[in-house]
Amino acid sequence: MKRNIVEVTGLKKRYKDFEAVKGIDLLVEEGEIFGFLGPNGAGKSTTINMLSTITNPTGGTAKINGYDNVKEKNKVRQSIGLIFQESTLDEKLTANENLMLHCKFYRVPKDKREDRIREVLQIVDLEDKRSNIVETFSGGMKRRLEIARGLLHYPRVLFLDEPTVGLDPQTRNHIWEYILKLKEKAGITIFLTTHYMDEAEICDRVAVIDHGELIALNTPDHLKNDVGGDIIEISTSDNKNAKRKIEEMYQLTVSENSEGKLSFQVNEGSAFLVDFVKKTDIPIQTVNLRRPTLNDVFLHLTGREIREEMVSQRDLMKRSMRGPH
Amino acid sequence: MEGIYAIWQRDVIKFFRDKARLVGSFAMPFMFLILFGSGMSGALSSMIGGNAAGPLAAFDFVEFMFPGIIGLTVFNTAIFSALSVVQDKEFGYMREILVSPMSRVTIAIGKVLGGSTVAVIQGLMMLLFVPFIGVSITFLMVLKLIPVMFLVAFAISSIGLLIASSLKTSQGFQMVVQILIFPMLFLSGAMFPLNGMPAWMDVIVKINPLTYSVDMFKKIILQPEQMAPALREAMGLNLSIFDHVITFSQEILVVLAVSVVFVILATIKFSRAEG
Ligand SMILES: Nc1ncnc2c1ncn2[C@@H]1O[C@H](COP(=O)(O)OP(=O)(O)OP(=O)(O)O)[C@@H](O)[C@H]1O
Ligand SMILES: [Mg+2]
Repeated sequence: MKRNIVEVTGLKKRYKDFEAVKGIDLLVEEGEIFGFLGPNGAGKSTTINMLSTITNPTGGTAKINGYDNVKEKNKVRQSIGLIFQESTLDEKLTANENLMLHCKFYRVPKDKREDRIREVLQIVDLEDKRSNIVETFSGGMKRRLEIARGLLHYPRVLFLDEPTVGLDPQTRNHIWEYILKLKEKAGITIFLTTHYMDEAEICDRVAVIDHGELIALNTPDHLKNDVGGDIIEISTSDNKNAKRKIEEMYQLTVSENSEGKLSFQVNEGSAFLVDFVKKTDIPIQTVNLRRPTLNDVFLHLTGREIREEMVSQRDLMKRSMRGPH
Repeated sequence: MEGIYAIWQRDVIKFFRDKARLVGSFAMPFMFLILFGSGMSGALSSMIGGNAAGPLAAFDFVEFMFPGIIGLTVFNTAIFSALSVVQDKEFGYMREILVSPMSRVTIAIGKVLGGSTVAVIQGLMMLLFVPFIGVSITFLMVLKLIPVMFLVAFAISSIGLLIASSLKTSQGFQMVVQILIFPMLFLSGAMFPLNGMPAWMDVIVKINPLTYSVDMFKKIILQPEQMAPALREAMGLNLSIFDHVITFSQEILVVLAVSVVFVILATIKFSRAEG
Protein backbone atom coordinates (compact mmCIF):
# COMPACT_ATOMS: atom_id res chain seq x y z
CA MET A 1 0.00 0.00 0.00
CA LYS A 2 1.19 3.47 -0.82
CA ARG A 3 1.72 5.94 1.96
CA ASN A 4 -0.24 9.12 2.42
CA ILE A 5 1.88 12.12 1.60
CA VAL A 6 -0.77 14.70 2.46
CA GLU A 7 -2.90 14.18 5.56
CA VAL A 8 -5.51 16.75 6.42
CA THR A 9 -7.93 16.59 9.34
CA GLY A 10 -10.60 19.11 10.22
CA LEU A 11 -8.77 21.94 8.46
CA LYS A 12 -10.44 25.32 8.94
CA LYS A 13 -9.77 28.91 7.98
CA ARG A 14 -11.72 31.85 9.29
CA TYR A 15 -11.24 35.40 8.05
CA LYS A 16 -12.78 37.71 10.63
CA ASP A 17 -16.44 36.67 10.58
CA PHE A 18 -16.24 34.67 7.36
CA GLU A 19 -15.34 31.00 7.34
CA ALA A 20 -13.61 30.31 4.01
CA VAL A 21 -12.77 26.67 4.77
CA LYS A 22 -15.07 24.79 7.09
CA GLY A 23 -13.24 21.70 8.27
CA ILE A 24 -11.78 19.55 5.52
CA ASP A 25 -10.53 15.97 5.84
CA LEU A 26 -8.53 14.31 3.11
CA LEU A 27 -5.65 11.98 2.40
CA VAL A 28 -3.51 12.10 -0.72
CA GLU A 29 -1.48 9.07 -1.70
CA GLU A 30 2.08 9.35 -2.84
CA GLY A 31 2.31 9.56 -6.62
CA GLU A 32 -1.27 10.43 -7.44
CA ILE A 33 -2.67 13.42 -9.26
CA PHE A 34 -5.18 14.90 -6.87
CA GLY A 35 -7.64 17.47 -8.15
CA PHE A 36 -9.42 20.09 -6.15
CA LEU A 37 -12.52 21.18 -8.02
CA GLY A 38 -14.83 24.01 -7.12
CA PRO A 39 -16.29 27.32 -8.26
CA ASN A 40 -14.85 30.77 -7.54
CA GLY A 41 -14.51 31.52 -3.87
CA ALA A 42 -15.01 27.89 -2.87
CA GLY A 43 -11.85 27.96 -0.78
CA LYS A 44 -9.40 26.21 -3.12
CA SER A 45 -6.60 28.76 -2.89
CA THR A 46 -7.17 29.18 0.83
CA THR A 47 -6.72 25.44 1.32
CA ILE A 48 -3.58 25.33 -0.82
CA ASN A 49 -2.20 28.29 1.11
CA MET A 50 -2.73 26.46 4.36
CA LEU A 51 -1.21 23.23 3.05
CA SER A 52 1.82 25.12 1.77
CA THR A 53 2.42 27.06 5.04
CA ILE A 54 1.55 30.46 3.54
CA THR A 55 -1.29 30.98 6.00
CA ASN A 56 -1.92 29.32 9.31
CA PRO A 57 -5.15 27.38 9.68
CA THR A 58 -7.55 28.53 12.37
CA GLY A 59 -8.45 24.94 13.14
CA GLY A 60 -7.47 21.34 12.37
CA THR A 61 -4.12 20.00 11.23
CA ALA A 62 -2.30 19.27 8.01
CA LYS A 63 0.76 17.14 7.45
CA ILE A 64 2.89 16.98 4.34
CA ASN A 65 5.46 14.25 3.93
CA GLY A 66 4.93 13.53 7.64
CA TYR A 67 5.71 17.09 8.76
CA ASP A 68 3.27 19.35 10.54
CA ASN A 69 2.36 22.46 8.55
CA VAL A 70 2.45 24.79 11.51
CA LYS A 71 5.14 23.30 13.75
CA GLU A 72 7.58 22.16 11.07
CA LYS A 73 7.14 24.84 8.45
CA ASN A 74 10.64 24.72 7.04
CA LYS A 75 10.58 20.95 6.59
CA VAL A 76 7.24 21.23 4.83
CA ARG A 77 8.60 24.03 2.66
CA GLN A 78 11.57 21.90 1.65
CA SER A 79 9.18 19.06 0.70
CA ILE A 80 6.87 20.99 -1.55
CA GLY A 81 6.91 22.87 -4.81
CA LEU A 82 4.31 25.54 -5.28
CA ILE A 83 2.90 27.16 -8.37
CA PHE A 84 0.56 29.97 -7.42
CA GLN A 85 -2.55 31.15 -9.16
CA GLU A 86 -0.76 34.44 -9.89
CA SER A 87 2.73 34.52 -11.35
CA THR A 88 5.61 34.83 -8.89
CA LEU A 89 8.50 35.10 -11.33
CA ASP A 90 10.85 38.05 -11.31
CA GLU A 91 10.17 39.36 -14.78
CA LYS A 92 13.19 41.66 -14.83
CA LEU A 93 15.50 38.69 -14.51
CA THR A 94 16.35 35.97 -17.03
CA ALA A 95 14.94 32.47 -16.81
CA ASN A 96 18.33 31.25 -15.68
CA GLU A 97 18.58 33.87 -12.94
CA ASN A 98 15.12 32.98 -11.65
CA LEU A 99 16.10 29.32 -11.53
CA MET A 100 19.52 29.94 -9.99
CA LEU A 101 18.02 32.04 -7.19
CA HIS A 102 15.55 29.27 -6.47
CA CYS A 103 18.42 26.77 -6.17
CA LYS A 104 20.05 29.05 -3.62
CA PHE A 105 16.85 29.61 -1.67
CA TYR A 106 16.42 25.84 -1.37
CA ARG A 107 20.09 24.98 -0.88
CA VAL A 108 20.37 22.77 -3.93
CA PRO A 109 24.03 21.62 -3.83
CA LYS A 110 26.27 23.81 -6.02
CA ASP A 111 27.55 20.98 -8.20
CA LYS A 112 24.01 19.79 -9.01
CA ARG A 113 22.52 23.16 -10.02
CA GLU A 114 23.60 23.19 -13.62
CA ASP A 115 22.26 19.68 -14.27
CA ARG A 116 18.99 20.32 -12.54
CA ILE A 117 18.35 23.57 -14.37
CA ARG A 118 18.96 21.79 -17.68
CA GLU A 119 16.73 18.94 -16.63
CA VAL A 120 13.73 21.05 -15.61
CA LEU A 121 14.04 23.35 -18.61
CA GLN A 122 14.00 20.29 -20.81
CA ILE A 123 10.82 18.98 -19.18
CA VAL A 124 8.99 22.19 -20.08
CA ASP A 125 10.75 22.72 -23.44
CA LEU A 126 12.38 26.01 -22.59
CA GLU A 127 16.05 25.13 -23.02
CA ASP A 128 16.57 27.72 -25.72
CA LYS A 129 15.04 30.54 -23.66
CA ARG A 130 17.36 30.10 -20.75
CA SER A 131 19.10 33.46 -20.95
CA ASN A 132 16.11 35.52 -22.02
CA ILE A 133 14.49 38.07 -19.74
CA VAL A 134 11.21 36.68 -18.44
CA GLU A 135 9.36 39.87 -19.35
CA THR A 136 9.66 38.83 -23.00
CA PHE A 137 7.94 35.46 -22.40
CA SER A 138 4.37 34.66 -23.38
CA GLY A 139 1.86 33.76 -20.67
CA GLY A 140 2.23 30.06 -21.40
CA MET A 141 6.01 30.21 -21.33
CA LYS A 142 5.94 31.96 -17.97
CA ARG A 143 3.67 29.26 -16.62
CA ARG A 144 6.01 26.56 -17.87
CA LEU A 145 8.99 28.33 -16.35
CA GLU A 146 7.21 28.49 -13.02
CA ILE A 147 6.52 24.78 -13.17
CA ALA A 148 10.17 24.16 -13.99
CA ARG A 149 11.25 26.32 -11.08
CA GLY A 150 8.90 24.52 -8.71
CA LEU A 151 10.64 21.23 -9.57
CA LEU A 152 14.24 22.34 -9.04
CA HIS A 153 14.54 21.20 -5.44
CA TYR A 154 12.89 17.83 -6.20
CA PRO A 155 9.77 18.39 -4.09
CA ARG A 156 7.74 15.36 -3.01
CA VAL A 157 4.46 17.19 -3.64
CA LEU A 158 3.85 19.81 -6.29
CA PHE A 159 0.96 22.16 -5.57
CA LEU A 160 -0.51 23.86 -8.60
CA ASP A 161 -3.17 26.49 -8.04
CA GLU A 162 -5.12 26.80 -11.30
CA PRO A 163 -2.10 25.93 -13.45
CA THR A 164 -3.81 26.67 -16.74
CA VAL A 165 -6.14 29.54 -15.99
CA GLY A 166 -6.03 32.35 -18.52
CA LEU A 167 -4.17 30.27 -21.09
CA ASP A 168 -5.40 29.34 -24.56
CA PRO A 169 -6.60 25.74 -25.09
CA GLN A 170 -3.46 24.70 -26.95
CA THR A 171 -1.16 25.92 -24.21
CA ARG A 172 -3.41 24.31 -21.64
CA ASN A 173 -2.94 20.98 -23.37
CA HIS A 174 0.82 21.48 -23.37
CA ILE A 175 0.89 22.24 -19.67
CA TRP A 176 -1.06 19.07 -19.08
CA GLU A 177 1.40 17.05 -21.12
CA TYR A 178 4.13 18.36 -18.83
CA ILE A 179 2.16 17.56 -15.72
CA LEU A 180 1.53 13.98 -16.88
CA LYS A 181 5.18 13.64 -17.90
CA LEU A 182 6.14 14.69 -14.39
CA LYS A 183 4.00 12.08 -12.79
CA GLU A 184 5.53 9.37 -14.97
CA LYS A 185 9.14 10.48 -14.82
CA ALA A 186 9.51 11.84 -11.35
CA GLY A 187 6.82 9.90 -9.51
CA ILE A 188 5.94 13.16 -7.86
CA THR A 189 2.59 13.73 -6.17
CA ILE A 190 0.55 16.46 -7.79
CA PHE A 191 -2.10 18.43 -5.96
CA LEU A 192 -3.91 20.88 -8.18
CA THR A 193 -6.93 23.09 -8.11
CA THR A 194 -9.05 23.81 -11.11
CA HIS A 195 -12.48 24.83 -12.14
CA TYR A 196 -12.13 23.29 -15.59
CA MET A 197 -14.09 20.04 -15.73
CA ASP A 198 -11.98 18.49 -18.45
CA GLU A 199 -8.90 19.02 -16.33
CA ALA A 200 -10.44 17.42 -13.31
CA GLU A 201 -11.19 14.37 -15.49
CA ILE A 202 -7.48 13.72 -15.92
CA CYS A 203 -6.90 13.50 -12.17
CA ASP A 204 -6.65 10.17 -10.38
CA ARG A 205 -8.99 11.44 -7.70
CA VAL A 206 -11.05 14.56 -7.38
CA ALA A 207 -12.27 16.40 -4.32
CA VAL A 208 -15.24 18.64 -4.95
CA ILE A 209 -15.33 21.72 -2.73
CA ASP A 210 -18.12 24.25 -2.40
CA HIS A 211 -18.55 27.06 0.14
CA GLY A 212 -15.54 25.80 2.04
CA GLU A 213 -16.81 22.26 2.43
CA LEU A 214 -15.78 18.99 0.80
CA ILE A 215 -18.92 17.61 -0.77
CA ALA A 216 -17.41 14.63 -2.59
CA LEU A 217 -14.10 12.83 -2.97
CA ASN A 218 -13.52 9.98 -5.37
CA THR A 219 -12.16 8.98 -8.77
CA PRO A 220 -13.79 10.86 -11.65
CA ASP A 221 -15.48 7.64 -12.81
CA HIS A 222 -16.98 6.91 -9.42
CA LEU A 223 -18.20 10.45 -9.08
CA LYS A 224 -19.89 10.27 -12.43
CA ASN A 225 -21.46 6.89 -11.69
CA ASP A 226 -22.87 8.33 -8.50
CA VAL A 227 -24.81 10.83 -10.55
CA GLY A 228 -26.72 7.80 -11.84
CA GLY A 229 -27.31 6.83 -15.42
CA ASP A 230 -27.19 9.05 -18.45
CA ILE A 231 -27.85 12.70 -19.06
CA ILE A 232 -30.44 13.79 -21.57
CA GLU A 233 -30.47 17.34 -22.82
CA ILE A 234 -33.27 18.71 -24.95
CA SER A 235 -34.10 22.11 -26.26
CA THR A 236 -37.70 23.03 -26.93
CA SER A 237 -39.60 26.07 -28.07
CA ASP A 238 -41.41 26.21 -24.72
CA ASN A 239 -39.10 25.16 -21.89
CA LYS A 240 -41.49 25.95 -19.06
CA ASN A 241 -44.26 23.81 -20.34
CA ALA A 242 -41.91 21.04 -21.38
CA LYS A 243 -40.24 20.97 -17.98
CA ARG A 244 -43.60 20.59 -16.24
CA LYS A 245 -44.75 17.84 -18.62
CA ILE A 246 -41.58 15.77 -18.31
CA GLU A 247 -41.57 16.06 -14.56
CA GLU A 248 -45.18 14.87 -14.45
CA MET A 249 -44.73 12.02 -16.90
CA TYR A 250 -41.60 10.48 -15.40
CA GLN A 251 -41.36 11.82 -11.85
CA LEU A 252 -37.95 13.40 -12.58
CA THR A 253 -36.28 16.63 -11.65
CA VAL A 254 -35.51 18.65 -14.74
CA SER A 255 -33.12 21.56 -14.61
CA GLU A 256 -32.49 24.29 -17.10
CA ASN A 257 -28.84 25.05 -17.79
CA SER A 258 -27.09 28.28 -18.74
CA GLU A 259 -27.50 27.61 -22.48
CA GLY A 260 -31.28 27.32 -22.18
CA LYS A 261 -31.35 23.54 -22.44
CA LEU A 262 -33.36 21.25 -20.26
CA SER A 263 -31.41 18.40 -18.77
CA PHE A 264 -32.30 15.42 -16.63
CA GLN A 265 -30.91 12.06 -15.62
CA VAL A 266 -32.30 8.66 -16.50
CA ASN A 267 -31.04 5.14 -15.96
CA GLU A 268 -31.17 3.68 -19.47
CA GLY A 269 -30.62 6.58 -21.80
CA SER A 270 -31.31 5.03 -25.20
CA ALA A 271 -34.36 3.02 -24.11
CA PHE A 272 -35.78 6.08 -22.45
CA LEU A 273 -35.34 8.23 -25.52
CA VAL A 274 -37.24 5.82 -27.78
CA ASP A 275 -40.14 5.76 -25.38
CA PHE A 276 -40.01 9.50 -24.80
CA VAL A 277 -40.04 10.52 -28.43
CA LYS A 278 -42.98 8.16 -29.16
CA LYS A 279 -45.15 9.40 -26.31
CA THR A 280 -44.53 13.09 -26.05
CA ASP A 281 -46.13 15.97 -27.87
CA ILE A 282 -43.51 18.45 -26.67
CA PRO A 283 -42.12 20.47 -29.61
CA ILE A 284 -38.53 19.24 -29.33
CA GLN A 285 -35.83 21.00 -31.34
CA THR A 286 -32.69 19.09 -30.36
CA VAL A 287 -32.00 15.99 -28.33
CA ASN A 288 -28.69 14.94 -26.86
CA LEU A 289 -27.82 11.84 -24.88
CA ARG A 290 -24.51 11.66 -23.07
CA ARG A 291 -22.63 10.20 -20.16
CA PRO A 292 -22.42 12.47 -17.12
CA THR A 293 -19.45 14.83 -16.83
CA LEU A 294 -18.00 16.27 -13.68
CA ASN A 295 -20.11 19.35 -14.32
CA ASP A 296 -23.17 17.14 -13.89
CA VAL A 297 -21.60 15.81 -10.72
CA PHE A 298 -21.37 19.31 -9.39
CA LEU A 299 -24.88 20.10 -10.56
CA HIS A 300 -26.12 16.92 -8.93
CA LEU A 301 -24.39 17.72 -5.64
CA THR A 302 -25.20 21.41 -5.37
CA GLY A 303 -28.00 22.16 -7.80
CA ARG A 304 -25.68 24.71 -9.44
CA GLU A 305 -23.26 24.65 -12.32
CA ILE A 306 -19.64 25.63 -12.26
CA ARG A 307 -19.83 28.32 -14.89
CA GLU A 308 -16.63 27.85 -16.78
CA GLU A 309 -17.03 30.74 -19.16
CA MET A 310 -17.75 33.41 -16.61
CA VAL A 311 -15.02 32.17 -14.39
CA SER A 312 -12.32 32.19 -16.99
CA GLN A 313 -13.26 35.69 -18.10
CA ARG A 314 -12.90 36.95 -14.58
CA ASP A 315 -9.56 35.30 -14.16
CA LEU A 316 -8.29 36.71 -17.42
CA MET A 317 -9.13 40.13 -16.09
CA LYS A 318 -7.42 39.42 -12.82
CA ARG A 319 -4.27 38.51 -14.70
CA SER A 320 -4.25 41.38 -17.13
CA MET A 321 -4.82 43.88 -14.36
CA ARG A 322 -1.54 42.96 -12.75
CA GLY A 323 0.31 44.83 -15.49
CA PRO A 324 4.08 45.15 -15.96
CA HIS A 325 6.58 46.01 -13.21
CA MET B 1 24.21 32.29 4.50
CA GLU B 2 23.73 31.54 0.85
CA GLY B 3 20.15 32.74 1.22
CA ILE B 4 21.37 36.16 2.33
CA TYR B 5 23.73 36.19 -0.63
CA ALA B 6 20.95 35.25 -3.05
CA ILE B 7 18.57 37.96 -1.83
CA TRP B 8 21.42 40.48 -1.92
CA GLN B 9 22.54 39.38 -5.37
CA ARG B 10 19.07 39.81 -6.83
CA ASP B 11 18.87 43.43 -5.69
CA VAL B 12 22.31 44.21 -7.04
CA ILE B 13 21.64 42.58 -10.42
CA LYS B 14 18.39 44.49 -10.73
CA PHE B 15 20.06 47.76 -9.81
CA PHE B 16 22.55 47.50 -12.65
CA ARG B 17 19.89 46.31 -15.07
CA ASP B 18 17.63 49.31 -14.48
CA LYS B 19 19.32 51.87 -16.70
CA ALA B 20 16.60 54.49 -16.28
CA ARG B 21 17.00 54.45 -12.53
CA LEU B 22 20.78 54.62 -12.89
CA VAL B 23 20.64 57.72 -15.07
CA GLY B 24 17.79 59.26 -13.09
CA SER B 25 19.77 59.01 -9.89
CA PHE B 26 22.11 61.70 -11.21
CA ALA B 27 19.31 64.12 -11.94
CA MET B 28 18.57 65.40 -8.45
CA PRO B 29 22.19 65.89 -7.29
CA PHE B 30 22.96 67.52 -10.63
CA MET B 31 20.09 69.96 -10.18
CA PHE B 32 21.16 70.78 -6.66
CA LEU B 33 24.71 71.45 -7.73
CA ILE B 34 23.67 73.70 -10.61
CA LEU B 35 21.05 75.49 -8.57
CA PHE B 36 22.99 76.03 -5.39
CA GLY B 37 26.41 75.83 -6.94
CA SER B 38 26.42 78.39 -9.71
CA GLY B 39 22.99 79.95 -9.46
CA MET B 40 22.62 80.74 -5.84
CA SER B 41 26.03 80.34 -4.30
CA GLY B 42 26.53 84.12 -4.36
CA ALA B 43 23.33 84.79 -2.55
CA LEU B 44 23.87 82.03 -0.07
CA SER B 45 27.47 82.94 0.73
CA SER B 46 26.57 86.58 1.19
CA MET B 47 23.90 85.46 3.63
CA ILE B 48 26.62 83.81 5.64
CA GLY B 49 28.87 86.80 5.15
CA GLY B 50 31.21 85.15 2.69
CA ASN B 51 31.55 88.17 0.40
CA ALA B 52 33.69 89.92 2.92
CA ALA B 53 37.40 89.64 2.80
CA GLY B 54 39.03 87.53 5.48
CA PRO B 55 38.64 83.88 6.39
CA LEU B 56 35.08 83.56 5.13
CA ALA B 57 36.13 84.44 1.59
CA ALA B 58 37.16 80.82 1.32
CA PHE B 59 33.55 79.68 1.80
CA ASP B 60 32.61 77.79 -1.31
CA PHE B 61 29.00 76.71 -1.33
CA VAL B 62 29.49 73.94 -3.84
CA GLU B 63 32.21 72.50 -1.72
CA PHE B 64 29.94 72.73 1.28
CA MET B 65 27.11 71.02 -0.62
CA PHE B 66 29.11 68.10 -1.92
CA PRO B 67 29.20 65.90 1.22
CA GLY B 68 25.51 66.70 1.62
CA ILE B 69 24.86 65.52 -1.94
CA ILE B 70 26.59 62.26 -1.20
CA GLY B 71 24.59 61.93 1.98
CA LEU B 72 21.34 62.71 0.23
CA THR B 73 22.05 60.15 -2.47
CA VAL B 74 22.91 57.45 0.04
CA PHE B 75 19.78 58.13 2.15
CA ASN B 76 17.44 58.24 -0.78
CA THR B 77 18.79 55.10 -2.37
CA ALA B 78 18.90 53.22 0.91
CA ILE B 79 15.39 54.08 2.05
CA PHE B 80 13.82 53.60 -1.37
CA SER B 81 15.57 50.26 -1.79
CA ALA B 82 13.03 48.95 0.70
CA LEU B 83 10.37 49.83 -1.85
CA SER B 84 11.39 46.59 -3.57
CA VAL B 85 10.03 44.69 -0.57
CA VAL B 86 6.59 46.23 -1.09
CA GLN B 87 6.82 45.74 -4.85
CA ASP B 88 7.78 42.11 -4.36
CA LYS B 89 4.59 41.73 -2.34
CA GLU B 90 2.57 43.46 -5.04
CA PHE B 91 4.04 41.56 -7.97
CA GLY B 92 4.12 38.21 -6.23
CA TYR B 93 7.83 37.45 -6.01
CA MET B 94 7.71 37.78 -2.23
CA ARG B 95 5.67 34.57 -2.19
CA GLU B 96 8.44 32.70 -3.99
CA ILE B 97 10.80 33.95 -1.28
CA LEU B 98 8.43 33.28 1.60
CA VAL B 99 7.54 29.68 0.71
CA SER B 100 11.19 28.75 0.53
CA PRO B 101 12.77 27.21 3.61
CA MET B 102 14.89 30.32 4.25
CA SER B 103 14.38 31.88 7.66
CA ARG B 104 12.72 35.28 7.84
CA VAL B 105 15.84 36.70 9.46
CA THR B 106 17.90 35.61 6.46
CA ILE B 107 15.49 37.35 4.10
CA ALA B 108 15.41 40.56 6.12
CA ILE B 109 19.19 40.76 6.44
CA GLY B 110 19.64 39.99 2.74
CA LYS B 111 17.26 42.80 1.86
CA VAL B 112 18.99 45.32 4.14
CA LEU B 113 22.43 44.36 2.82
CA GLY B 114 21.20 44.58 -0.76
CA GLY B 115 19.80 48.05 -0.19
CA SER B 116 22.97 49.18 1.58
CA THR B 117 25.20 47.94 -1.20
CA VAL B 118 23.17 49.64 -3.87
CA ALA B 119 23.23 52.87 -1.85
CA VAL B 120 27.01 52.74 -1.50
CA ILE B 121 27.44 52.20 -5.24
CA GLN B 122 25.10 55.06 -5.95
CA GLY B 123 26.91 57.28 -3.45
CA LEU B 124 30.25 56.46 -5.04
CA MET B 125 28.85 57.35 -8.43
CA MET B 126 28.39 60.90 -7.16
CA LEU B 127 32.17 61.15 -7.10
CA LEU B 128 31.91 61.44 -10.88
CA PHE B 129 30.95 65.07 -10.25
CA VAL B 130 34.24 65.77 -8.54
CA PRO B 131 36.23 66.90 -11.60
CA PHE B 132 33.56 69.50 -12.46
CA ILE B 133 33.15 71.22 -9.14
CA GLY B 134 36.64 71.77 -7.89
CA VAL B 135 36.47 69.69 -4.74
CA SER B 136 39.65 67.77 -4.19
CA ILE B 137 39.12 64.19 -3.13
CA THR B 138 41.99 61.87 -2.41
CA PHE B 139 42.06 58.13 -2.72
CA LEU B 140 42.38 57.89 1.04
CA MET B 141 39.15 59.85 1.48
CA VAL B 142 37.35 57.42 -0.81
CA LEU B 143 38.67 54.51 1.24
CA LYS B 144 37.27 56.17 4.37
CA LEU B 145 34.01 57.10 2.67
CA ILE B 146 33.09 53.56 1.64
CA PRO B 147 32.69 51.99 5.10
CA VAL B 148 31.00 55.13 6.44
CA MET B 149 28.57 55.17 3.54
CA PHE B 150 27.88 51.50 4.15
CA LEU B 151 27.18 52.03 7.82
CA VAL B 152 24.84 54.93 7.11
CA ALA B 153 23.12 53.03 4.31
CA PHE B 154 22.67 50.02 6.57
CA ALA B 155 20.93 52.13 9.19
CA ILE B 156 18.65 53.79 6.65
CA SER B 157 17.84 50.56 4.79
CA SER B 158 16.81 49.04 8.09
CA ILE B 159 14.46 51.95 8.72
CA GLY B 160 13.15 51.44 5.18
CA LEU B 161 12.53 47.73 5.77
CA LEU B 162 10.73 48.51 9.01
CA ILE B 163 8.36 50.81 7.12
CA ALA B 164 7.99 48.40 4.20
CA SER B 165 7.10 45.52 6.52
CA SER B 166 4.23 47.53 7.93
CA LEU B 167 2.72 48.49 4.58
CA LYS B 168 1.08 46.70 1.67
CA THR B 169 1.21 49.15 -1.23
CA SER B 170 3.95 51.10 -3.01
CA GLN B 171 1.91 54.28 -2.83
CA GLY B 172 1.59 53.96 0.91
CA PHE B 173 5.29 53.35 1.24
CA GLN B 174 6.23 56.26 -0.96
CA MET B 175 3.98 58.59 0.97
CA VAL B 176 5.30 57.60 4.37
CA VAL B 177 8.91 57.82 3.21
CA GLN B 178 8.35 61.17 1.54
CA ILE B 179 6.87 62.61 4.72
CA LEU B 180 9.72 61.19 6.73
CA ILE B 181 12.70 61.93 4.53
CA PHE B 182 12.09 65.61 3.74
CA PRO B 183 12.30 66.98 7.26
CA MET B 184 15.11 64.54 7.98
CA LEU B 185 17.08 65.83 5.02
CA PHE B 186 16.39 69.52 5.62
CA LEU B 187 17.31 69.28 9.25
CA SER B 188 20.50 67.30 8.73
CA GLY B 189 22.84 69.99 7.56
CA ALA B 190 23.02 68.42 4.11
CA MET B 191 21.61 71.44 2.27
CA PHE B 192 22.73 74.40 4.36
CA PRO B 193 24.72 75.06 7.54
CA LEU B 194 22.64 74.58 10.65
CA ASN B 195 23.57 77.78 12.42
CA GLY B 196 21.31 79.95 14.50
CA MET B 197 18.39 77.53 14.65
CA PRO B 198 15.55 78.02 17.11
CA ALA B 199 15.96 75.74 20.10
CA TRP B 200 13.15 73.33 19.23
CA MET B 201 14.55 72.82 15.75
CA ASP B 202 17.96 72.26 17.17
CA VAL B 203 16.53 69.42 19.22
CA ILE B 204 15.19 67.77 16.07
CA VAL B 205 18.54 68.25 14.38
CA LYS B 206 20.31 66.54 17.26
CA ILE B 207 18.01 63.51 17.36
CA ASN B 208 18.10 63.13 13.59
CA PRO B 209 20.53 60.30 12.74
CA LEU B 210 21.11 61.89 9.35
CA THR B 211 22.78 64.86 11.06
CA TYR B 212 25.59 62.66 12.31
CA SER B 213 25.78 60.84 9.01
CA VAL B 214 26.14 64.02 6.98
CA ASP B 215 28.64 65.37 9.47
CA MET B 216 30.81 62.30 8.98
CA PHE B 217 30.84 62.85 5.23
CA LYS B 218 31.75 66.50 5.83
CA LYS B 219 34.54 65.58 8.19
CA ILE B 220 36.02 63.22 5.64
CA ILE B 221 35.68 65.45 2.59
CA LEU B 222 36.03 69.00 3.92
CA GLN B 223 38.69 68.32 6.54
CA PRO B 224 37.48 70.97 8.99
CA GLU B 225 40.51 70.55 11.22
CA GLN B 226 42.54 72.38 8.58
CA MET B 227 40.12 75.31 8.33
CA ALA B 228 40.18 78.68 9.97
CA PRO B 229 37.92 78.52 13.05
CA ALA B 230 35.59 81.24 11.75
CA LEU B 231 35.05 79.42 8.46
CA ARG B 232 34.49 76.16 10.29
CA GLU B 233 31.87 77.87 12.40
CA ALA B 234 30.16 79.44 9.36
CA MET B 235 29.99 76.05 7.61
CA GLY B 236 28.35 74.59 10.68
CA LEU B 237 31.08 72.06 11.21
CA ASN B 238 31.22 72.27 14.97
CA LEU B 239 28.37 69.88 15.65
CA SER B 240 27.97 69.70 19.39
CA ILE B 241 25.59 68.54 22.08
CA PHE B 242 25.50 70.47 25.37
CA ASP B 243 28.63 72.36 24.34
CA HIS B 244 30.52 69.17 23.76
CA VAL B 245 31.90 68.98 20.22
CA ILE B 246 31.13 65.55 18.85
CA THR B 247 34.01 63.57 17.45
CA PHE B 248 34.06 61.36 14.38
CA SER B 249 34.27 58.17 16.42
CA GLN B 250 31.30 59.24 18.52
CA GLU B 251 29.32 59.79 15.34
CA ILE B 252 30.24 56.31 14.18
CA LEU B 253 28.92 54.96 17.46
CA VAL B 254 25.68 56.89 17.14
CA VAL B 255 24.98 55.59 13.62
CA LEU B 256 26.08 52.11 14.62
CA ALA B 257 23.63 52.15 17.50
CA VAL B 258 20.85 53.36 15.19
CA SER B 259 21.72 50.55 12.75
CA VAL B 260 21.60 47.86 15.39
CA VAL B 261 18.31 49.06 16.87
CA PHE B 262 16.56 49.40 13.53
CA VAL B 263 17.87 46.22 11.92
CA ILE B 264 16.55 44.31 14.93
CA LEU B 265 13.19 46.11 14.84
CA ALA B 266 12.91 45.63 11.07
CA THR B 267 13.76 41.94 11.27
CA ILE B 268 11.23 41.36 14.02
CA LYS B 269 8.56 43.30 12.17
CA PHE B 270 9.27 41.52 8.89
CA SER B 271 9.22 38.08 10.54
CA ARG B 272 5.96 38.83 12.31
CA ALA B 273 4.30 40.26 9.22
CA GLU B 274 5.38 37.44 6.93
CA GLY B 275 5.42 34.47 9.38
N1 LIG C 1 -7.29 37.42 3.00
C1 LIG C 1 -8.63 37.23 2.97
N2 LIG C 1 -9.44 37.94 3.77
C2 LIG C 1 -10.77 37.75 3.76
N3 LIG C 1 -11.40 36.87 2.96
C3 LIG C 1 -10.66 36.13 2.14
C4 LIG C 1 -9.22 36.27 2.08
N4 LIG C 1 -8.74 35.41 1.16
C5 LIG C 1 -9.83 34.77 0.66
N5 LIG C 1 -10.96 35.19 1.23
C6 LIG C 1 -12.31 34.69 0.94
O1 LIG C 1 -12.32 33.31 1.11
C7 LIG C 1 -13.12 32.68 0.11
C8 LIG C 1 -12.32 31.61 -0.58
O2 LIG C 1 -11.32 32.21 -1.37
P1 LIG C 1 -10.31 31.38 -2.24
O3 LIG C 1 -9.33 32.32 -2.82
O4 LIG C 1 -9.78 30.25 -1.44
O5 LIG C 1 -11.24 30.81 -3.39
P2 LIG C 1 -10.87 29.92 -4.64
O6 LIG C 1 -11.61 28.65 -4.49
O7 LIG C 1 -9.40 29.81 -4.81
O8 LIG C 1 -11.51 30.76 -5.82
P3 LIG C 1 -10.91 31.12 -7.28
O9 LIG C 1 -11.43 30.09 -8.19
O10 LIG C 1 -11.54 32.44 -7.55
O11 LIG C 1 -9.46 31.18 -7.20
C9 LIG C 1 -13.59 33.80 -0.81
O12 LIG C 1 -14.93 34.09 -0.47
C10 LIG C 1 -12.70 34.95 -0.50
O13 LIG C 1 -13.40 36.16 -0.63
MG1 LIG D 1 -8.02 30.47 -6.17
